[in-house]
Order: sequence, then structure tokens, then C-alpha cells
Amino acid sequence: MRPTVAVVDDASLIRDSLGLLMAGLDVVLTAATVEDLLRASPAVDLVLLDLHLVNLEQQPGVRQGIAAIRALTAHGYRVCVYSQEERRFVLAACIAAGASGTVSKVLPTDQAQRMFLEVAAGGTVVPQSVVGILEVLVRRDCITVLSERQRQILHGRARGLTYAQVAKQLYVSESTLRGYWQDLTRSLSESLRSLTAAEIERALGLAPGDLLEFWAEDVTDTTGWWRVRRRP
Amino acid sequence: MAGRNARWRVADLPTTQVGVERVFTYFIAGVRLGTVAQMVPAIQDGLETSPNETAYLACWLAAAGASVAVTVVCLIHRRPLGAAASTADFALACALLLLAPMVLVPGERFGTWVAFQAAYALSVILTASGVRSILLWAGGMLSVIVCYLVFIGHTGTHMTTTAIGNELTYVVYAVVARMLFNYIRRIAQDADASRALAAELARREEERRARVLMHNGVAVMQMLAHSGSDASRSGLVGLAEVEVQRMRAYLRGRTTSSEPESGAPGAGDDPIALAPMVERTCDRFADLHLDALLDLGAAVRLPRADAEAVERALESLLLNVRAHARAENVVVHLDEDATGAWALTVSDDGVGYDPESVPPGVGLRDVVIGELNRRGLDVTIASAEGEGTTVTIVRETGAQ
Repeated sequence: MRPTVAVVDDASLIRDSLGLLMAGLDVVLTAATVEDLLRASPAVDLVLLDLHLVNLEQQPGVRQGIAAIRALTAHGYRVCVYSQEERRFVLAACIAAGASGTVSKVLPTDQAQRMFLEVAAGGTVVPQSVVGILEVLVRRDCITVLSERQRQILHGRARGLTYAQVAKQLYVSESTLRGYWQDLTRSLSESLRSLTAAEIERALGLAPGDLLEFWAEDVTDTTGWWRVRRRP
Repeated sequence: MAGRNARWRVADLPTTQVGVERVFTYFIAGVRLGTVAQMVPAIQDGLETSPNETAYLACWLAAAGASVAVTVVCLIHRRPLGAAASTADFALACALLLLAPMVLVPGERFGTWVAFQAAYALSVILTASGVRSILLWAGGMLSVIVCYLVFIGHTGTHMTTTAIGNELTYVVYAVVARMLFNYIRRIAQDADASRALAAELARREEERRARVLMHNGVAVMQMLAHSGSDASRSGLVGLAEVEVQRMRAYLRGRTTSSEPESGAPGAGDDPIALAPMVERTCDRFADLHLDALLDLGAAVRLPRADAEAVERALESLLLNVRAHARAENVVVHLDEDATGAWALTVSDDGVGYDPESVPPGVGLRDVVIGELNRRGLDVTIASAEGEGTTVTIVRETGAQ
């Protein structure tokens, strides 16, 4: 059974074509803004959210970025960011804000759809650059909830090893490893949400305040919250 | 003139087989001309006391003339006498010994330079130390010994021990001089062989350096030649520029673009941070969907030459990924542990290959494994068909 999906994107082309291009998804609603989606309140398994929704001509003051993620998750939606954003701290901030995954728009359609299905099924899709950040946080004891087995898995995945390679190293089946990885990424994402920007700055060796631009805290309104600079 | 004089100085002679033969000629010239010089003061006395003045003078001139001739021949040919000349030299020495009883009075055959024949025979024996044929050398020496017996004749028992001592002098000097000549020749031979080996090794090393240096450049040029679109071509231009810099530095006699001229002391050993270098290399492969995770290795520093070898190896690996892997994702990961050991991992999720059945190409063999192993870095490759490839470059703690 196909998961039901809502798409929030300011580009009408994306909104109109996503359901056609990704036959594995049942796109039941598309919206240009988070506000529109919340007004409609559809019952869906997943919301695909573009990070950059401000459009000076048509929707100059709408929620976007972290605020949009928080608004959706506050209403119980499962969110997967679908954006061209590649800055790792921005992507990590999205996970920290409650997104269950971030998928790049530059990925091939079938690969992107595979990831959406994974998130819709309850999984967490963390981009490699964010896995790197998570590994640093674990190594520097910012996140301390991991078992030895989980550390080994994170060690392998952070180095880009495939599921098959890591499974071989740990003498488990590939499907078992995928399950472990799902649990691990969910656990790490939750741990990430509990960290402050200052803690992360310290762990990553950044200067105080370096993350404030990305890691705005308690942002629920459209004023004064982080804005992503790059346009998709 | 200075140059011409320098060629005759022993200190300037090469320590080769040719040089050693030339030194032997100096030794021979010294012995022969020194003998003549010792003969000169006694000639007057010899002529006065000789029962046959003319024959004595003829013998003296023959000995002196032969010594000068041998000296000139050796110096001109720059080697000791050959077999024929040496045979003639021995023959003359024996003849002079045999004729001595006719030109000398019995009382002058021991302990005087009037009887120059015995000393002349010794100089001939020393000259023959450079003869290659051991039979000629031994035969000549025995002939001299026998002729010396004729030379001393019946001198009475009180001179027997002196005669035996003189005979032993021939034998001992002949053996010792020949041993010395042969040993010096062996040293020169070994030195020449060592030089030839060193030259061959240097040639191979130069070939290896050229292979290492050219490999990445050739790969980039191939990609440029076969790149279809302007977009892919523009992505390769940056790489091509780096390779051109390297090749130009090589042609100018430098190891790498950032190293000093060969022979200049040191900037090549200045430790530099590895992470920025890795990041710059990764930036040139933006088309690969590459994630460079370098936070854990931000403090890794290593000698510039080592860092540049790692950079070349990384570039070679990423060129391989671009050309062969068909990967969707590539990860470059740098990590340093608390002991200072570090690891650079390059992983792709591409088609992979079977390392058992596919031999490594020049890039992997020379630029990655060979070059990094030479610098004390371990390289491990894990790959399987359909499972991607992971290459790990490791420096253990304390490794140099």
C-alpha cells in the first residue's frame, strides 16, 4: 500500500510533478506554504517539505526552514525535508528541529523516492554529512547513549561503508544491520534534538556563536527566525 | 694546464677499474725509475772494477733502457705490461743475472749497487705483479730465482744465509705485491659493479617517479579528451591545471610543485595540516556527490612531502572512482585517535571489483600503494563486485 504524502513547495512545478514522477507515493495534497497545509490538516503519512518557501512576489512572509519543520511536527506530522540545501549544519539543524529525514533534490528520482518511502515507513534518513557530525558528537561524548555495537555501526557508516560491508564486519545479515541503523539514526536524531548550539559548537571546535545562524532555538514564529540564504 | 696536470694526480684519479690500472702504472714507474736512480751512483765504480768494462756498460744500459721503456709503455697505455712485454722483461732480467759473473768480480755481488742485477730483477718481479696470467708471473719469478743462483755462484758458506734471504725477498715481495694488486682490482671491480647497480636503481626510481607523476595527468587528459559536454569538461579543467603544475615542477627538477629545488635544504619536511589539503582535492571532484568528513582529523599534521603524496594518492583514487566506479555516493573520512594514529578512508558505493582477480593498475599500485608504503603509510583495499570499494590509508602511532 502506497504511503500518503503531502508536498509543501513554493515551486508549482515540483508540486505538480512529484506525484507523477514518484509512483510509489500517494500524493494527496500539495501546498505552497506550511500555513496552507496546516489549514487543510490532511491525514498523511509524510510531509515532503521544501526548506525555502519565502517568495518575494507571492508569499514573502511565510514560515520556512526550521520554523516550518517545528510547526509541522508540533501538529504531529512526520516531515522529510526535500531541498537543494547542502550545508551540513543546516541539514543537521533540520534533523534537530524534528525532521525525520533530509533528501537532496539533486538525487535521482528513484533514489529520492526510496528514501521518502523509508521515512514514511518510520525510518530516519540522515545525510552522510550529518552522520559525520553525529560521529564527532559521539566521539567527543556529547552523545553518550550508544552501545559498543552501535558505535561500531556508526564508525563504519560514517566512513561511507555500505550496509553489506558493515554487516560483513559485524557478522550480521544486511537486513539486520539496516534495522540496527534505523534504530541508531532515530536515537541519534533524538539526542541531537536535546543538544544546544553551544554544546555542538564546543564538540566540533567551532567558535561560540558560529551555529546561531543555523541553530535558532525556540523558533515558532515567522519573525526573527533563521532564514536559509541560498535559493533552491 | 691545470686540467692536464690534474689528470696525472693520484688523488684525482677515479676509483674505477680503469683508475686502478692507471695507479698501478705509477707504482711500476716509481719502482723502475727508482731502481735506475739507485743504479746511477755506482756506475763509475762498476766500470772501474769490472773485468769486462764494455760488457758491464752494455748490461747497465740495457737495464736502464728497459726500465725507462717499461715506464713509458705503461704510462702511455695506462695499464701494467701485457704478457709479451712482461716475458721480455723477465728474459732480460734473467739474462743480466746470467751475464753478471762475466762483468762483475766475485766480491761485489753482495751488498753493492755495482751489482745492480739483483735489485733490477726485483724491480722486474714487482712490475710483473700487474700481469694477469698467474703462470707467466710464477714462471718468471722462478726463472729469476734460478738465475739468481747462477748469479751468486760459489761465494763461500759465509754468504749463504744472505743469498737465501735475497731469494726469499723475491718470493715474499712477489707474492705480497701480487696479492695487493689483485685485491685492489677486486675493490675496483666491486665499486664499478656497485656504481652500475646504483645507476640502475636510480634509473628505476626515476621511472617510478615519472610514472607516479604522470599517471594522474594522463587520466585527466583522457577524461578531457573523452568528455562530451562542456559542463563535464569544465569540471576537469581545475584538475588539469593542478597536473600541469606538477609536471612543470617535475621538468624543472623539483619533486613537487611546492618543494624547493632539488638539493636545497628543507622546506619539504615542514609539517602541514592534512585536512585542508584533502578538502581542496575533494573540491575538485564536486561532480562525484562526495562528502568530505574531516572534523575528527582536523589536527592531523604531517611532513609536506608526505601530505603531497597523500594528496596525489587521493586524487588518483577519486579519478578511479570517476572513471570506473559508477558510484552514487563517495565519502572521504579523516580520523585521528588519541594516540596520534590517523586514517584516511575513501569509500564509494559503486560497482566494486574483485581484488583477487583484477590486478591493480599503475595508479593504485604505484601512486597509492607504492608511494605511500615508501613513506611508512599502510594502505588497505576492500572491495567486492556490487559492494563498492573502500581504501584506507593509515599511519600508525610512531610510524615514520
